[in-house]
Amino acid sequence: MHDEILTIDNLSTKFFTENGTVRAVNDLSLRVGRGDVFGIVGESGSGKSVTARSVMDLVDSPGRITDGSIWYRNEEFTDRVREDHPNAVEDGAVDLLELPESTRHGLRGSAFSMIFQDPASSFNASLTVGEQIAEAVEVQRRAHANPRSTRARTSGSNYSLKNYALSTVFPSKRFVTRASRDRAIELLEMVGIPDPVQRADEYPHEYSGGMLQRAMIAQALAGEPDVLIADEPTTALDVTIQAQVLDLLAELQEETGMTILLITHNLGVVARMCDRVGVMYAGEIVERGTLEDVFDDPVHPYTQGLLGSIPDLEGREGRLHPIAGNVPSLFEHEMEHRCHFADRCPKAMEECLEHPPEFDARGSPHHAARCYLAETTYSEAKALPEGYFSEADDPAMEQTETAATDGGGE
Amino acid sequence: MSQYQFILRRLLQGILVIWGVVTLVFLLRYMTPGNPVDFVAPLDAGQETRDQVAADLGLDQPVYVQYFDYLFGLIQGDMGYSFIRSQPASSIIFARLPATIELALAATIVAIIFSIPLGVISATRRHEPADYAATSFSLVGISTPNFWLGIMLILLVSVGLGILPTSRRPIGFVPAMEMFIFQLEIQGIRTWIAHMILPAVTLGTYFTAMIVRLTRSGMLDELGKSYVLATRAKGVPETLVRYKHVLRNTMIPIITVLGLQLGTLIGGAVITEFVFNWPGLGTLIINAIDVRDWPIIQGSLIVIGVGFVIINIAVDALYAKLNPKVSYE
Repeated sequence: MHDEILTIDNLSTKFFTENGTVRAVNDLSLRVGRGDVFGIVGESGSGKSVTARSVMDLVDSPGRITDGSIWYRNEEFTDRVREDHPNAVEDGAVDLLELPESTRHGLRGSAFSMIFQDPASSFNASLTVGEQIAEAVEVQRRAHANPRSTRARTSGSNYSLKNYALSTVFPSKRFVTRASRDRAIELLEMVGIPDPVQRADEYPHEYSGGMLQRAMIAQALAGEPDVLIADEPTTALDVTIQAQVLDLLAELQEETGMTILLITHNLGVVARMCDRVGVMYAGEIVERGTLEDVFDDPVHPYTQGLLGSIPDLEGREGRLHPIAGNVPSLFEHEMEHRCHFADRCPKAMEECLEHPPEFDARGSPHHAARCYLAETTYSEAKALPEGYFSEADDPAMEQTETAATDGGGE
Repeated sequence: MSQYQFILRRLLQGILVIWGVVTLVFLLRYMTPGNPVDFVAPLDAGQETRDQVAADLGLDQPVYVQYFDYLFGLIQGDMGYSFIRSQPASSIIFARLPATIELALAATIVAIIFSIPLGVISATRRHEPADYAATSFSLVGISTPNFWLGIMLILLVSVGLGILPTSRRPIGFVPAMEMFIFQLEIQGIRTWIAHMILPAVTLGTYFTAMIVRLTRSGMLDELGKSYVLATRAKGVPETLVRYKHVLRNTMIPIITVLGLQLGTLIGGAVITEFVFNWPGLGTLIINAIDVRDWPIIQGSLIVIGVGFVIINIAVDALYAKLNPKVSYE
């Protein structure tokens, strides 16, 4: 089984804040097959975005990846890296966390690309859309001019402050060339923006939300990435536009065969787009498997709760079924070594006071869950008494929770 | 609205503002105690001589006649005659203007050269020693009074170390450049620079400190925005992220402040000019106030007002150019 383009093993990302350490992502493992659309679902603050940013090395201070490895499998890249960093290479894949920062950053845009939740704030408001896409094209063009070099190709003299200063004065020193601009217009056309030549010269505020998200996708495709990470790509859009953007993503995925890591809290989006799903809760993947595994035969009570909370349009029952309680505090000093969902779980048992490992679950070989219910069946006899956790629910929870969510960048 | 229409409209508005300034400045004379005749006429002059002096100065006319005389004179470039020196006020003022503009520009350049790199370092190395040094400097810079700094610099650098001259510069920028171009004589420029350093530093320190803070907080603000993340994600190297994207966006509000501040420098260099005995408008105004030389006071204030208006229009035009969200309206 060597067709996993991205394998994350035991990844932990923590935020070292003044109020304590926040475990945004904790001991997370997942495998993404080449050409798959992998969905990560979870509530706000469950660590979805931090996982994505960890892959891109975009976690800002005070956050830091503290443990684990991120394996990226790309023959050409492996060959390039093997010589300089032999200990980062294993079995044809490269552990990105063993590479120096500069080499990792060289992968941005070419190996991994990212689109964000709010397209309006993800473009620089004072440059034209065309210029920004052309910039992405140009960065990749220059990076690939010398594919043998493993050095930080993005920090060479090309990008010195002096050259930037010159570029503002002399048109011939401009960073964005004619060729990259033409390519930007092609990309805009590819994502279905009408009149791309003219639209390229417009500023982000002259675009509608849906158009801007298309432009963002165009920008992300500039370096022909292996993996496109879409962080809540449709959350900020109208429902009708959402469908168009998802269709576009699906279409592009089919055309280019790229892998998509789709992060969302919307189960409808997952059902529509994904082959594989990972359900995140409190910085962990609590259940993963194929779409069918997770949607038709969920093991973890959290997954069941998520699916149960989808409103029933036929309206046989008048009420929604939310999951009771709140996302737990992610402060290290407040987290106990138990199943983090136990306090909200309708089927909490005595075993759940011990943190569950990942168990294989029935269904496809990919199906796994961090829940004792995958192994045993629920019995009333072992159930925890009602209100077992309520002493722990002190008012401090409220406060810490917002801090944890801030760390998640939702 | 096109750029030119915008500028034209702002110019017309500017003329209205200047008219307001002229009127206020004119009325100021009648609200201020002290009769110019006391200063111009001999101390032992009789009533007859004093009346004669008042008539010569045009002070015997009704106020509105004086006002319109003054206004129409101004339109023709005539600011009246100095009460004390029998020269046209305009020629006295315009002889002093270059020194003030040179000082203001030099202070601004000093400020830009030091403040923006300091602000950038401070923002990108937050909570590191460089940041603490820069923020402490800016705190000290903002709280140091100009006149004290000027005197201290004179005492330490000029008197103590004997390096730079204290006051009364012998040569302006234009003559110095002429000397260099036509006679290939560098001495003039060197003298000019030597006399410029201390006043420019004195005047520029507060300004530098302020812009360090603005740059720092502006950059931190911009660095937290999500387009920075998106730009990094597409592979753009950090140098470009910092300068092409973040600093550029930070500069948009800073340019406004810079422009407004340049305006205040032209008018507000009075104390610094006085400390360094600088041959500019500031010392001219102070001396003129001493002797109630109203044509000089009025003319200088009007020139400063016009300077303000012009700089404001330029800043607005530049702002609209830099920030595509602002249209010319």
